[in-house]
Amino acid sequence: MNTLENKKSENNNPFRQTKFTRSSNSQKIRNSFSQFSQEELAAKKEIVSIAGRLLRIRNFGNLLFADLADQAGIIQLKVGKNKDFAELGIGDIIGVKGVICKTDKGELSVEVQEFVLLSKCLRSLPDIHYGFNDTEERFRKRYLDFLINAEKKDILVVRHQVIQSIRHWLDQKEFVEIETPILVSEASGAQAKPFVTHHNKLHRDFYLRIATEIPLKKLLVGGFEKVYEIGRIFRNEGIDARHNPEFTTIEIYQTYENAEYMMNLTEELFHYLAAKVLKREEFAFNSHPVNLVQSFRRLAMVDAIKEYAGIDFTQINDLTAALEMAAQHNLKLAKFQKTIGQIILAFFEEYVEKKLIQPTFIYDYPVEVSPLAKSKPENEKIADRFELYIGGLEFANGYSELNDPIEQKKRFAEQARQKALGNEEIASFDKEFIEALEYGMPPAGGLGIGIDRLIMLFTGQNSIKEVIAFPQLRSKEKVSENFE
Amino acid sequence: MSAEESNLLLDEVTGEKVSKNELKRRNKQREKEREKEAKKLASKTADVAAKPAKSENDEASEENLNPNQYFEIRSKSIKKFRETRNPNPYPHKFHVDISIPTFIEKYNHLEPGQHLTDVVRLAGRIHNKRASGSKLRFYDIHGDGVKVQIMAQAQDSEQNFAEIHDLIRRGDIVGVRGCPGKSKKGELSIFPKEVILLSPCLHMLPKEYYGFKDQETRYRQRYLDLIMNNFVREKFDVRAKVIKYVRKFLDDLEFLEVETPMMNMIAGGATAKPFITHHNDLKLDLFMRVAPELFLKMLVVGGLDRVYEIGRQFRNESIDLTHNPEFTTCEFYMAYADMYDLMEMTENMLSGMVKSITGGYKLKYHPQGPDGIEMDIDFTPPFKRVSMIETLEKKLDVKFPPASELHTDETNKFLQEICEKHEVECSPPRTNARLLDKLVGEFIEVDCVSPTFITGHPQMMSPLAKSHRDIPGLCERFELFVATKEVCNAYTELNDPFDQRERFEEQAHQKEQGDDEAQLIDETFCTSLEYGLPPTGGWGMGIDRLTMFLTDSSNIKEVLLFPAMKPIEEKVYVADEIYEVPHK
Repeated sequence: MNTLENKKSENNNPFRQTKFTRSSNSQKIRNSFSQFSQEELAAKKEIVSIAGRLLRIRNFGNLLFADLADQAGIIQLKVGKNKDFAELGIGDIIGVKGVICKTDKGELSVEVQEFVLLSKCLRSLPDIHYGFNDTEERFRKRYLDFLINAEKKDILVVRHQVIQSIRHWLDQKEFVEIETPILVSEASGAQAKPFVTHHNKLHRDFYLRIATEIPLKKLLVGGFEKVYEIGRIFRNEGIDARHNPEFTTIEIYQTYENAEYMMNLTEELFHYLAAKVLKREEFAFNSHPVNLVQSFRRLAMVDAIKEYAGIDFTQINDLTAALEMAAQHNLKLAKFQKTIGQIILAFFEEYVEKKLIQPTFIYDYPVEVSPLAKSKPENEKIADRFELYIGGLEFANGYSELNDPIEQKKRFAEQARQKALGNEEIASFDKEFIEALEYGMPPAGGLGIGIDRLIMLFTGQNSIKEVIAFPQLRSKEKVSENFE
Repeated sequence: MSAEESNLLLDEVTGEKVSKNELKRRNKQREKEREKEAKKLASKTADVAAKPAKSENDEASEENLNPNQYFEIRSKSIKKFRETRNPNPYPHKFHVDISIPTFIEKYNHLEPGQHLTDVVRLAGRIHNKRASGSKLRFYDIHGDGVKVQIMAQAQDSEQNFAEIHDLIRRGDIVGVRGCPGKSKKGELSIFPKEVILLSPCLHMLPKEYYGFKDQETRYRQRYLDLIMNNFVREKFDVRAKVIKYVRKFLDDLEFLEVETPMMNMIAGGATAKPFITHHNDLKLDLFMRVAPELFLKMLVVGGLDRVYEIGRQFRNESIDLTHNPEFTTCEFYMAYADMYDLMEMTENMLSGMVKSITGGYKLKYHPQGPDGIEMDIDFTPPFKRVSMIETLEKKLDVKFPPASELHTDETNKFLQEICEKHEVECSPPRTNARLLDKLVGEFIEVDCVSPTFITGHPQMMSPLAKSHRDIPGLCERFELFVATKEVCNAYTELNDPFDQRERFEEQAHQKEQGDDEAQLIDETFCTSLEYGLPPTGGWGMGIDRLTMFLTDSSNIKEVLLFPAMKPIEEKVYVADEIYEVPHK
C-alpha cells in the first residue's frame, strides 16, 4: 500500500483513467480468428483494443504470458520485454492494444503493443490454482466468486436469458407486464409469514408482499385480460438451501380460462425454455436426470397417493377414517390439520412429493388447502388446481381463480378458523379484495412459478444461493478489516 | 335503564321522553310505514330476487335505489342462483375465440344491415343495457379498452330469451356466442345465439353520465377506475412501453439484467431515509434498499462489465404529487465508459423512446393538471448542456469561490449570503451541499423544460462520483432535467478506494451536522473497490417520472396502479349480514 501512496503522490494515480474504448472482446476474437493458422494471423496483422482483468502472469524473462478476463471469457496476452508490464500484478485491470496472433503452441493470443493500467487491484486475488471454494467466503465476497469461478458468472447469464425469454414468450401472446406494490396493507395471496415495516410520516405499518396474486386479480376486475408480473416476493422464514427471504416469482393470469389451460401453458413454457433457450432436453437436478421436453405426466392427488403409498382416499369418506389412517401411518397432525383435505395433503407431502422426479402435474387439490381456487364444477370439496413437481420439488402452482365473492368470504373465514387453531401460515382476510370481486371478476386461470428454482433446474444447482446474485447470509461478527 | 323501571321512556328516533303507551303507538306507526316502504320497494324491484323480472319498469326502477339497496337486492338474487345453479352465476370457463379489438378489426368493413353466418365467441363487461320491446335488447360490451354492441333478438336466441336477459345487469361479465353483423343504422354488432352470465356485478356501477372522477376513490378502487375511465388503461400501456424500450435498448448493447437485494444490512447508494424491517429467524434488522448502486458496482468488480437492474426502490418519506414510498428506477453500469458516453446514450435512449411511443420528439405537458400551464417539451437530440457553477454565476451575477474551495466554511458563509439575498429558503442543516442544491433548484432547474443536462457538480454533493479530470473540487456527474424535474443522474464512477473512504468520511461529517440523509460507510463495498473496479460509467433513471411526462400526468399516483394511500376508517360492509359469514 505504501508504494501505492507514493505513486499517488508522484501524480501517477492508478485510478485516474476514466474510460477505455474497446474494439472487441475475448469471445469475438475467438469466434473470428480461431480458425486461422499462426502464419495466416501474422499476415493479417489484425489490431484490436480489449480490456479486462489480469488473472495469471507467466514470466519467461524476455517473454511474458498473461490471461486477460472480460465478461465474455479469457484471452491470452503475449508481451515482449516490457518493464512496465512486468510491474503489473494479478487482478489489475488493463486496457490493451495489440495484434492477434497464435503462439508456437497454437494458443490464440493478443501480442501487446500498448497497454494502460485502468484500475489497480490492491488486495491479492485468491490463487487460481487452488480456487476459491469456501462457500461462506464465496457468498460474502460474491464479486471474487464471479471473478475466479467463471461458471458462477454464467449462472447469472442464464438467469438473464431465461427471464428475458419468458418475457418475450408472454409478450408474443399479448400479455401485459404489470408492477404491483411491494408495500401492502394486507399480506395476502399466499400462506406465509410476512415482514413488517413502518412508514414514519404516514404513521402506519406496511407488510412486504408475500405474493402478487391479489392485486393482479383486481386488475382482471378492472378489465385487463392477460397480465403477468415478474417480481420480488418476501417471506419472513428461515434461510436454507431452498429458501432466501427475498426471491423472484412470475404470476400469470388469463381471463376466460381455467386450470387445465394454465397447466397446458406451463408445459408449453417449460418445453419452450428447454428446447429453444437452453437448447437441451435433459437436465440434472437434485442428482436426477430430468427430461423437460417429453410430455409431462398428469396425476390426480388421490391417485398419486394410491400409487406411491398404496392408500386409497377415494374409499375414505369421513374424518374419523382419515384420522385413523393418519394414526396408522404415524403421521403427526397439527390441530388445524384435522380435516380430510389437510390429511390428504399431509399424506401427499409425506409419501409422494419427493418421488416425483420426472415432471409431473398433480391436480385436484383439497379445497381446504386452496383458499383462492375455485372448486371443481362436479365436486365442491376438490379445488380446480394443480402443481408441477420436478426432482421432488414444487415448480409451479395454478388454478381456476375463485371469483365468487360469497364463497371467497367463506374461505377466508375458514382460514381465520385455522389461524385460531395455530396455523401461522394462513391467507389473511382481505376485505378490499372481496369488494373488488363483488364488482365481478371474469372466470380466469392463474399460474405462479418460482424463478429461482427454475434457474436452479436449468443450471443444475442444488442451492438457491447459487442462482441469486447476493443471497442473504447469516450475520457474522464484524471482522474489522484493517485498512491502513 | 330498562322499560320496567321508569314511567317515561326515551323515544330513540326523536330523542323525547314519552309515556310507555305513546312510545308503543309511535313504534307501531313507524313499523307500518316501514312495511309500506318495503312493499313499495319490493313491488318495484325485489321480485328480481325471487324470479326474473317481467317488465322493464322493474329493472328500470333499480336505477333509483341507493347503492346499498342495489347491492343488497342483487346479492340476494345472485345468492339464489348460486344455490339453484340455474344458471350457475360463476361458471368455470367460457371459451373465447376472438377478442373484441380483433372482432372490430375483422368485421368493421360490413355493410349496414349485413349479417354473417360465422359463429364467434367473445366476452367482456356490460356497460349499457337498453330494451326495445320484449324481443330486443341492446348492450355495449367492453374488453381490452374497446367496445362493441350486442344486439340480442329473440328470433336469434337459442335460449329462453326473457330469462337470460332479465338476469343480466349493467356491470356483469358475460360471454356471447353469436354472429357478426351490422345494424341497419350501421353499428357493428354481435347477434347472439347465446348469452352466458360469467360473473355478476353485485354493485351498482357508477353512472356513465356522472363518471367516476373522485381522485381519492379512483386510486383506492383502481379496478373501478379502469372499468370506468379508458384513459387509465392507456397510461399503463405507455408505462409498459417505456420499460420495454429501456430493456430492449440495453439488451441490444449486450447488457445483462440482474436482480440485487432489496433488503440489506446497510441502506447505501443514495441519500434517503430507509424503511426498516426485521428478520425473525436471523434476529436481524434489515433496511429496504434506497438504490441498487453499490451491489451493481460490485458485480462490475466481479467481471460483469455491463449490468442493469429495473426495480423497486423504497424511501421512507412523505407522499406527495411526485413521491410514493416505493418507485421504479433503472440503473445501469458500463465498464470502460465515462459520463460523456452516457450523455450520448441518454440522448439516444430518450429521444428514441419518445419517438417510438408518441411518433414524434415533441410533447405537451401540464405540470399542474389540464387546466394549468402548458409546457412544450422537445426531445430532439442533442439535449442542452449547462454547467452548474458557471450558470449560477451568470444568473446571480456573482463570482463563486474556485471549485477547490467549495467545501470550506468561507464558502458556506458565501452561500448563506446569496440564499438570504435571493430569499431562497434552506431548512437546517445548512450544509454547503444543501445550500447549493437549493440555489440550483431555484435558478437553473426551473428553466429546464426540454431535456437539459446539468454538469459540473461539486464533489461534496456526490460521494460516489469520480473527481473531475480537469477541475479539482468538481466531479464527473450529470443530471438530466425534464419539465424542471430530475429524470436521470449519472457519473463516471469513483473507483479509487482511498478517495471513496474519504468521501464516506465527509458524509459522516455531514451527518454529524444533522443531515440524516447522508450516506453511511459501506465496508463491504469499500473492500470490493480494493480489488479493482474498472473505470465505469453509472446511470440511473426514474421510470415513474418519465412515464408522467409521456402520459401528461401531474400526479405520480396516475402512473402507479396501486399508489400508497393514507389509511382510512374501517368501512361498513353491508355484505357481512347478507353472507351470514361469521368474522370479527
